[in-house]
Amino acid sequence: MGIMDKARIYSPWLYHLHCGGCNGCDIETLAALAPRFDVERFGVQLVPSPRHADILLTTGCVPKQFIPMVKRIYEQVPAPKVVVAVGSCACGGSLFYDDAPENYAILGHPDLLIPVDVYVPGCAPKPEAIINGVVQGILKLAEKRSKK
Amino acid sequence: MVDLIFTVISLIVIVPLALFLGVIYSYLLRKLSARFQWRVGPMLRMYGDLKPLLGTTRLLQPLYDILKLYGKETIVPDVSRRRLFVYSPFLSLFFAVAAIFFIPFPGMPLLSGVPYSLIIASYLLIASILFTILGPVASGSPWAAIGARREVELFLVSELGFVLSLFAVAIARQSLVIWEISSGGQSLYLALLTVTAGALMFVAMLGKLHIKPFDMPEAEAEIVAGPYTEYSGKLLGTYYLTKVFLLYGLVALFISLFLPPIATDVLWLPLYIVAAVVLVFLLTSVQVLNPRYRIRNAINWYLKVAIPLGVLNFIIALAIWLVV
Ligand code: SF4
Repeated sequence: MGIMDKARIYSPWLYHLHCGGCNGCDIETLAALAPRFDVERFGVQLVPSPRHADILLTTGCVPKQFIPMVKRIYEQVPAPKVVVAVGSCACGGSLFYDDAPENYAILGHPDLLIPVDVYVPGCAPKPEAIINGVVQGILKLAEKRSKK
Repeated sequence: MVDLIFTVISLIVIVPLALFLGVIYSYLLRKLSARFQWRVGPMLRMYGDLKPLLGTTRLLQPLYDILKLYGKETIVPDVSRRRLFVYSPFLSLFFAVAAIFFIPFPGMPLLSGVPYSLIIASYLLIASILFTILGPVASGSPWAAIGARREVELFLVSELGFVLSLFAVAIARQSLVIWEISSGGQSLYLALLTVTAGALMFVAMLGKLHIKPFDMPEAEAEIVAGPYTEYSGKLLGTYYLTKVFLLYGLVALFISLFLPPIATDVLWLPLYIVAAVVLVFLLTSVQVLNPRYRIRNAINWYLKVAIPLGVLNFIIALAIWLVV
């Protein structure tokens, strides 16, 4: 493993993309970054701009108004990148979508727009599960080569 | 001739050394602020069963961040002024590296003995920061523009404090050569100046390094990533590298100007390291104990506290020059 691949595993930067959802997942995601779980131990950092990110962490069921923003934010993340979908909403729509697929306002889940690499189910998933999802994301990231 | 060869060798050696020390200082900044916040921060010794995957230590975490950024795609926005956008990070890095050539390290005078090295070093540091403003302005992003504007305002006031403290020392020691200042002796009056001018320089360093009360150019909660919003990949990595060199450079400048003769002889090296760590510790404690100022408060604060302190420094320095 070259030093570049190592560096890629050692310093994954997260961009937290909240699209719809009830904020439960977001609270759990922040709990994963807070003192009790502190993912900075492993070099994970929350970055403010998608241009700096390696891992796009999406939560929520993507209301239709969010579609252009989600696409645009995904495109703004430089390659190599992975998308981690956190929560049942982001995995398949959850309660906002299951019973009423024809919901006029909800698209369903980010997988319909952008390629999701890792799914973390749970409503809301525990911080441990989110960290596990991020780790799976890091492993996928290590496999991807940056393309010019 | 021997001198020349020694200087050339030390100029080559100082770049990786400064990078290493800068990375360690940045690591300390991150680790200490994590500890202050009851977190663990980047691990010094990784858990046994994770070692094969995650490495044994994260002491070089800032370096890994930079390396990773160099391995990523670099996006140049369409609306940017391409040339300025792309070259600014490299020019900024160039000036930061050039500045550290003029700041002595224990056992290596480098170029600090050339005439007017104090002025050259301070200009190079200013130039480096100037290009962290110009690049973002060229990126065409409103967030970067707001960040850059805040940076300019902060820069103007913090620079004043920086220059006042530099020249107070220069007047008191009657020299514009860093090497002469840093190899000078100590006296009671000079120690007094060290305290006042050192405090002013410390405050100016906070502004230059964007440490907490003065981090509004990068205010994450308000303006995305401030000046760096549009930067990605190699260009962002270059800015991070510049920051590492700037951190090293400012700490080294502080020690060589205010704590002579620590930065002269190689025997002082342990004390130099202790002084640097203490300085980084102080920077971190200011960072974690303060909320972010609004830009107007920051300017007012500098004008009300830092500038009068600078004038006081000048009076002390003049008194030392005339009386002692
Ligand atoms: S998965 Fe559950 S907790 Fe998460 S956003 Fe959806 S409804 Fe809220």
